[in-house]
Amino acid sequence: MSAENDPAQRVAIGISFGNSYSSIGFTTGEGRAEVIANEDGDRQIPSVLSYVEGEELHGGQAKTQFVRNAKNTVAYFRDFLGQEFKSIDATPCHESAHPLQHESTIAFKVKDSAEDEENEVTVSDITTRHLKRLRNSAAYYLGKEVNAAVITVPTNFSDAQKEALNKAAKEAGIEVLQFIHEPVAAVLAYDARPEAKLADKIVVVADLGGTRSDVAVVASRGGIYTILATLHDYEVTGLKLDQVLIDYFAKEFLKKHKSASDPREDARGLAKLKLECESVKKALSIGTSANFSVESLVGGIDYTATINRTRYDLLGNKLFSAFSRLVLHAVEKAQLDPLDITEVILAGGNAHTPKIASTIANAFPETTTVLAPSTSTTAINPSELSVRGASIQASLIQEFELEDIEQSTHPMVTVTPHLSHAVGVLCISGDETNGVFHAIVDAETPLPVRRTAIISTPREGGDVLIKLAEGLRHIKVTKPEPKAKKEKAEDDSDDSDDDESDEEEELREKTWKVSNVLSEAAIKGVKKGGKVEVQINIGADLGVNAIYREVGGKGGVRGIIAGEKAANGSA
Amino acid sequence: PVLPAGWTAEKDFKPVGSLSHAIDRNIEPVGPHFLAHARRKRHKRTFSEDDRI
Repeated sequence: MSAENDPAQRVAIGISFGNSYSSIGFTTGEGRAEVIANEDGDRQIPSVLSYVEGEELHGGQAKTQFVRNAKNTVAYFRDFLGQEFKSIDATPCHESAHPLQHESTIAFKVKDSAEDEENEVTVSDITTRHLKRLRNSAAYYLGKEVNAAVITVPTNFSDAQKEALNKAAKEAGIEVLQFIHEPVAAVLAYDARPEAKLADKIVVVADLGGTRSDVAVVASRGGIYTILATLHDYEVTGLKLDQVLIDYFAKEFLKKHKSASDPREDARGLAKLKLECESVKKALSIGTSANFSVESLVGGIDYTATINRTRYDLLGNKLFSAFSRLVLHAVEKAQLDPLDITEVILAGGNAHTPKIASTIANAFPETTTVLAPSTSTTAINPSELSVRGASIQASLIQEFELEDIEQSTHPMVTVTPHLSHAVGVLCISGDETNGVFHAIVDAETPLPVRRTAIISTPREGGDVLIKLAEGLRHIKVTKPEPKAKKEKAEDDSDDSDDDESDEEEELREKTWKVSNVLSEAAIKGVKKGGKVEVQINIGADLGVNAIYREVGGKGGVRGIIAGEKAANGSA
Repeated sequence: PVLPAGWTAEKDFKPVGSLSHAIDRNIEPVGPHFLAHARRKRHKRTFSEDDRI
């Protein structure tokens, strides 16, 4: 044990552990994250275990046992960890081993030994066995014993679930360095690329998985991430997309074979349909047509058919729009407008579907980048995002003492004041009514923060007034015309009431309203066409330290605005 | 903007208001920039002190 806890002896990997698929990754010496394929050559390893005459099958091999050996095959168990029996939804497990109540936890009854008897295996034991297999695959690939990992979890994973996962991992010989959230891992996977540029942006991560879809709105400020809103849905999922294909092919089959029984009502027939439809769905993400072919689907009848993507897009139309509604709903939950969103990262297996990506892209303005294989050439494989993020994080903290990691992730460190409004300077005119607000620090930026911006001055130069102010983001509907309405001085009301009832073809645009002027400063004798550099430091106490200097000039003006305490809370 | 005539302030700087209340949120303990933030916070360093090290 002591050797494992010694950071010098640590070999850490990233693990993405999902209900449907898991993956493992590591970071190379040059700092590139790589996803490891298991012995079957799979990078997306099905989270399935199956027992045949005492032999344990894992991943893709176990998955094929859904057909012949469903009762001894365990799948979709991640979300059962650390849960009580009455709180789980066992629907995805209907075609395999059923979860049962076992004391305070959940177990599966499977014949996991060579003897012909059923054993109750708890969900944490199943998880341990699964993680052990993943760890072995990584060790086999790396040629080194793996003893630590960063594991991704959904944002709504409770402490009890994390605790249970931690315990199961320990049993599997894995020291969990940190649990990180799946959407944040996805953002990190993109930001860690060498060509990525650090920017302040709002990112929506839509993780479209098999049994669940999770959407998170993340504010990325100088590479520090804050989750603004999350949404979880267990109805709009990849399994539902498979169902669309299952129904289609079952109906086609019945049309062709009038006397045959419905393959959906036969356990094996349904299992075969499910497996085949999932691969058809995957094939349709790459090609424009796919073959469906099952031997002895039901009643000994073989069935082959083809489907093209256009047909599939039609069949799945309702679900595709449901996916995009889900994403928009999360944006709304964060009290934002689609115009505020810089990037949409599509993650999870179903993000490969071109029509899902294009439907979501259509829901956002053109200024929003949708990162999916079919909408962006620079997109990373959506299935690999969270494992890449986990691998990067693992390499960052591998050398830390566990105690250091715990202290750094403590709420004392992570709970941070965030700016409620953007702070910037007024350009063109000093008057709030027709000045143009230039944001320097965006809202939702964690404090303390330091930002620098270069602004231009009046063409003729001379003495310049710089006004520092708070700005409110406003969505202007209809034709833009300068609004002369003055803000009520102390009005701090929400400005996100963007749902205008009139549904005409309207022009929506992001504008700024200046609310609260913070300070004025004068820079004298600026050269013709000169520029002024503004640097603002905002402390955690809301104190502002501003420095203004003409670019290339000497001296400059410094000023301090007192923080919250001195202000008597009049904002 | 052009400086209005007759504008004066001590050392050319005049504080007028102060920032509105901040909202406490949890930042995600992930990524290199967070680790730098945590380091600053735990050692109570400022940005410029951190730059020097």
